[in-house]
Amino acid sequence: MLLPLLLLMAARPVEFNRDVRPILSDKCLACHGADAKAKNIPLRLDIEEQAKADLGGRRAIVPGSPETSELIRRINSDSKARKMPPAFTGHALTEVERATLTQWIADGAKWQKHWSFITPTRPALPEVSRPTWARNGIDRFVMERLDREGLKPSAEASKDRQIRRVTLDLSGLPATPREVDAFVADKSADAYEKLVDRLLASPRYGERLAMRWLDNARYADSNGYQFDGERIMWRWRDYVIESFNKNKRFDQFVVEQIAGDLIPNATVEQKVGTGFQRNHRANTELGIVAEEYSVEYVIDRVETNSAVFLGLTFGCARCHNHKYDPLTQKEMYSFYAYFNNVPEQGRAMKYGNSPPLVANPTREQQAQLAGLAHQIAQARSAIQVNPSRVRAWQASLPKDSMQYWLPGFDLKRKLGFEDADETRANAGQVEFVPGRIGKAVQLNGTTYLDAGFQAANFDMEDRFTMAFWAKSSQTPDGTLLSRATDKARGRGFGLEARKGRIHVHFTSDYDDDAIRMTTGAPVLKAGVWQHVAVSYTGSRMAEGVRVFVDGKPVTFKVELDNLYRPLNNGGKEFPEPLRLGAGGGPERRFAGQLDEVLVWARTLAAEDIELLAKGERLPEVDPGSRQAREAYLENGAPAAQKMLWAKLVELEQAREALERSFPTVMVMAENPSRRDTHVLIRGEYNKPGDKVEPGLPSFLPPLPEGATNDRLGLAKWMVARENPLTARVNINRFWQLLFGTGLVKTIEDFGSQGEYPSHPELLDWLAVEFMESGWDLKHMMKLMVTSATYLQDSRTTPELIQRDPENRLLAHGPRLRLPAEAIRDQALAAAGLLNPKLGGPSVKPYQPAGLWEEQSMQNMDYRQDHGDALYRRSLYMYWKRTIAPPMMVNFDASTRESCVVRESRTNTPLQALNLMNDVTFLEAGRQIGRRMLTEGGATDEARIAYGMKLLTARAPTVRELEILKSSLNYHRDYFATNAGRVDTYLAKGESARDLKLNATEQAAYMALASLMLNLDETVTKD
Amino acid sequence: MHPLLQTRRHFFQKSATGIGLAALGSLLQGDELEEVHPKLLGLPHFAPKAKNVILLYQHGAPSQLDLFDWKPGLQSRRGENLPDSIRKGQRLTGMSAFQETFPTAPTVFKFAQHGQSRSWFSELVPHLASCADDLCIVKSLNTEAINHDPAVTFSQTGFQLAGRPSFGAWVAYGLGSENQNLPAYVVMVSQGSGNTQALADRAFGSGFLPTRYSGVKFRGGADPVLYLSDPEGYSRDARRRYLDDLAKLNQIQLDNYQDPEIATRISQYEMAFRMQSSVPELSDLSKEPESTFEMYGTDARKPGSYAANCILARRLVERGVRFVQLFHRGWDQHSNLPKEIRAQCRETDQPSAALVKDLKQRGLLKDTVVIWMGEFGRTVYSQGTLTETNYGRDHHPRCFTGWMAGGGFKGGVSYGETDDFSYNITENPVDLHDLHATVLSALGVDHTRLTFKFQGRHYRLTDVKGHVVKPLLS
Repeated sequence: MLLPLLLLMAARPVEFNRDVRPILSDKCLACHGADAKAKNIPLRLDIEEQAKADLGGRRAIVPGSPETSELIRRINSDSKARKMPPAFTGHALTEVERATLTQWIADGAKWQKHWSFITPTRPALPEVSRPTWARNGIDRFVMERLDREGLKPSAEASKDRQIRRVTLDLSGLPATPREVDAFVADKSADAYEKLVDRLLASPRYGERLAMRWLDNARYADSNGYQFDGERIMWRWRDYVIESFNKNKRFDQFVVEQIAGDLIPNATVEQKVGTGFQRNHRANTELGIVAEEYSVEYVIDRVETNSAVFLGLTFGCARCHNHKYDPLTQKEMYSFYAYFNNVPEQGRAMKYGNSPPLVANPTREQQAQLAGLAHQIAQARSAIQVNPSRVRAWQASLPKDSMQYWLPGFDLKRKLGFEDADETRANAGQVEFVPGRIGKAVQLNGTTYLDAGFQAANFDMEDRFTMAFWAKSSQTPDGTLLSRATDKARGRGFGLEARKGRIHVHFTSDYDDDAIRMTTGAPVLKAGVWQHVAVSYTGSRMAEGVRVFVDGKPVTFKVELDNLYRPLNNGGKEFPEPLRLGAGGGPERRFAGQLDEVLVWARTLAAEDIELLAKGERLPEVDPGSRQAREAYLENGAPAAQKMLWAKLVELEQAREALERSFPTVMVMAENPSRRDTHVLIRGEYNKPGDKVEPGLPSFLPPLPEGATNDRLGLAKWMVARENPLTARVNINRFWQLLFGTGLVKTIEDFGSQGEYPSHPELLDWLAVEFMESGWDLKHMMKLMVTSATYLQDSRTTPELIQRDPENRLLAHGPRLRLPAEAIRDQALAAAGLLNPKLGGPSVKPYQPAGLWEEQSMQNMDYRQDHGDALYRRSLYMYWKRTIAPPMMVNFDASTRESCVVRESRTNTPLQALNLMNDVTFLEAGRQIGRRMLTEGGATDEARIAYGMKLLTARAPTVRELEILKSSLNYHRDYFATNAGRVDTYLAKGESARDLKLNATEQAAYMALASLMLNLDETVTKD
Repeated sequence: MHPLLQTRRHFFQKSATGIGLAALGSLLQGDELEEVHPKLLGLPHFAPKAKNVILLYQHGAPSQLDLFDWKPGLQSRRGENLPDSIRKGQRLTGMSAFQETFPTAPTVFKFAQHGQSRSWFSELVPHLASCADDLCIVKSLNTEAINHDPAVTFSQTGFQLAGRPSFGAWVAYGLGSENQNLPAYVVMVSQGSGNTQALADRAFGSGFLPTRYSGVKFRGGADPVLYLSDPEGYSRDARRRYLDDLAKLNQIQLDNYQDPEIATRISQYEMAFRMQSSVPELSDLSKEPESTFEMYGTDARKPGSYAANCILARRLVERGVRFVQLFHRGWDQHSNLPKEIRAQCRETDQPSAALVKDLKQRGLLKDTVVIWMGEFGRTVYSQGTLTETNYGRDHHPRCFTGWMAGGGFKGGVSYGETDDFSYNITENPVDLHDLHATVLSALGVDHTRLTFKFQGRHYRLTDVKGHVVKPLLS
């Protein structure tokens, strides 16, 4: 593959960066690089001074004198012991490489800083042989190179090729026949520009660009690793689509990906951006050592950020100094430190999202929420209460009324013990005695009450609040409330008194899967009634638990904060009831009295709990108080007002339910105090070495002026004008999206092992243009797709293929197989099936049965969607990392297990089988056949031409039409003679069949459409 | 080098000898055999002992203590706490790390010596015992990972984290395949009766290699390969005609655009057509004689069973498929080990042994490396309560047993030793990089020279490690 590049090199003087560095890097630096010292190798060839230094009478490189240069002697040595590189490395130099090194030294051994580490400046546009060919700056650089090669650009592609190519590239969908006709007919000078503007303004553009960003970001709907449970990150995916669609400044987008949460007064949208950093796989396997995976997540971030933004392979310096680039291991861990301060767990939540999270309502939900807020405000102002009426109503209550104020809604259970039948007593008779309000239950240390399964059947992700009064003659000790197996170290949740301290636990497994927290000091006293309440946000973290004694929050020491499985693990219902005075085994029974046990299915506000803890009966409560007013509205007010109040409560309940339904996104956050980062010796999680501070590698520019040394500073540094990499690397990836290969082919590596750019000045020109345009991505996409380079015809010649098989010189337009998503989306669009819905939860279209079941645990089966969901664009397909959608994988989609930036295209028999036999494409064929019959015209010729136009944006040639007609007639005969097979063949997919059409005709056209869907041209952008 | 480029290079060679582009389509139809699964230039590096690999992966990790690694001294130590001098504070999984005691659990199964080699086998594997002299048993396998997902990933790709090519993908990439009608790397999954672990596609994926090197899953049932069957209502004749028309149309496109990628596509459709016949023919066991089923056991009549897959493995290597991998799930016996392992062995012992014998009687064993292994071993101490008849065993990475047969591996060998508790290796450790290096060596491949450049690095299956364990090879 090197040959063409070498041929053209021969004409020019040897240049270090282009010609020499790749040889040194690939063949020498593994030993004579940054890691040489560790290997006791005195010579380094990555640093000029050392490479040219006198090492005891010998110098590896003597500028101008190859014959005295030890390097040249050694590479030409016949001695096995002296020959470099040694045979065991397998890195033998080629003839050309030896000649290049020799020539370079003869020419003076001029060194250059690695090209990609130098901040780009805008190069002047070169003079070219045919300036009129150029439509913009891009073309001047391309033509300059072609001139040097003695090549000429290709003619401009026909208009139908132009519209098909650019529509597939910018929207990932085919141009419709109408769009093709309109464009071909538009003879105005700016017809193409108008087309591009239309495509850039379409919401399909954001979806198209998001597809590759999801690969970069290793986005998926599951956690990966062993169990591979579901996570909910689609709001992040939708944010990406929206960001591209509104053409958010790309530098701002990058800052949000890295540190949106740290932007002062960050919006939800900015926080959501940091989902990028959380899209890595997360391990939930039972028994893992959590610290091991805490490290892996941060390493993943280092690898992903360095690849996506810097085009560097920082992960290579995990265990030792980078072998090729001037990055030390210590610098790698300094970079790591920026991402190592997240309040996260090494073991992720088995189901759902792992904190830190942010709730991110959809647009629809935001509107609903605003609507509810408005209604609530209106309902509030509609209720006017006259305090004297409240007073009068209070006076009318029986003096011994046991009623008291209860906050709002979602009260699930109320146990006042006024009626002894309220609960089922266990382990002997309990007594009901005068209590805090009316009667209370008296427990003796062996007895307890069973309040039933329904009373508190919450799981770890549910919100709830429990409140009660307690009193004991001793300092309270024993379990007060629980829903847990009644044994020591059992599962479930409970609230326990421990010699006056309060202990709260949520336990899936006592040792390793629980939240446990205890108040630092005793808070419960002997001989007095005290009000105790626990509220929980469903966060599955200690921070979501609050306990109040007598209405005041108490402080806790967290002993374990490591919960990751629900009680209903694997879909098995956890059967334990709510027990009063028991849980944790017979030795933990409570002796004392409990009264007014209340359970809510929501997190009560602290103010509510404070009021509740006053424990005032309605006849006693101050008539001006909130309690009196609300109790009056609920019970004593006139019917009309009661209804208004009920309506208000209903609205508030609806708001609570709505808020609870908001999808969350896993985002970045910072620990309150910075977690220490250490170099990990050999990269192992349990071998910490020197402590390091966050910092940047010395071979790259420092933080910009005024930037803080944290993730936000890092993000600003990424997009600073001085940063030599971010603009280059990103524009190179967008170039790849259009041309198939980057100007730097090694998209993922701009380091010394990376390939030298095919058009270095063009890359710099684009990078500078990108930055100076205000990081305007639509401007850049437009620049690229309106270039003469892009608009060339894609036909090639055997000579050109031999010379430049990958079209690196750009002597013709791009001709590339479509990405997996576009192949499916194109079929759906041409079939008229495509559902254009933008965003939303991922969908599960057709997939061969059994794929998940065969390989996953706990009967995780694939439940295919129906209706519209079958026809959503492919980027909305549910992505399970360990068993990815097979059609996507067949067509080279990345598996989303880790960051992938390079596009790959293979050509396999499995792809052929997929396109011929997958129900997705058979159904599309059926519908395209229907469209040919109903929309294509009256003759076979017209119908075939229409089908071809749907898929290839052009009419068939005479010869093609002949073959297609013959195929149609063959299938007509086939289905006529096999009439029994017609219905079977047509019964593919769930979309309706047009019963008005002749079935045999429809089957024949379906077969023909299937054939058209399998054409090389159909799956190729040309 | 990218395989497509190889295809192209091949094509250039042809065109250099004067065959024009226009003739390419027909050329490929007639003479594409060497195009489908090319091997890398320069491979094999030296004369191979074996051509194919069958990897019988026992997924979930079988207990070495109950199958091969006989520790008679443990019988008198039942229930004794595992001495600290043995455990040496090494890390445990979060499942048993909090146990208050680590009671020694000797196996409840009887062991005996078999064959001329006098190798030890437990009563659970009588059929394997009967081919003792063909097996090269390694008792000193060891790994880095202590949990299933990273351990399977490590044993299959040489690295604990996702992203690298699997063993089979490396072999397919390096050596290609000798069958032009079947994939180079075939994978089959069967369900055991025991406690099951999830199996990720990456265990047989291509990682950073092009996806064409991924293992192709063969499944029991009507569609042995995804999308293999023509749609209902469509005949083979119709498909032939369809493909002829498709080829004609693609040929027109090739003449017009001259893009060799189109020629490749034409040939891939032809391979797909051939697979549509070759795979059902291969998967159809109905023509196997009665004696086959006697040999592999009655399970073998059940499509998708381990036994049926073992027969298919033989049929695949008979047809020149380079790398065949079976996964049998259900070996994760944290509790109720005696009961569950008995069932797992019932499912696997006879067919595994039958495969070795069958290959041998057909003269294929000398060309085929059969590997039997899991992702790690299991602890000598009981996880959970130890009783006279029941115990469980947690994950144990520090030693476990696997075996090889055929393909240049010595038969009747027992290699490596563990301490009296089968806890640490005392002699001749073989880590999984060593195992990979050794199997590659049997295939004529120098593991340090089978590389792929990615992210600036020349990656290997054996990462930066691995030594060929010469004593295992004949």
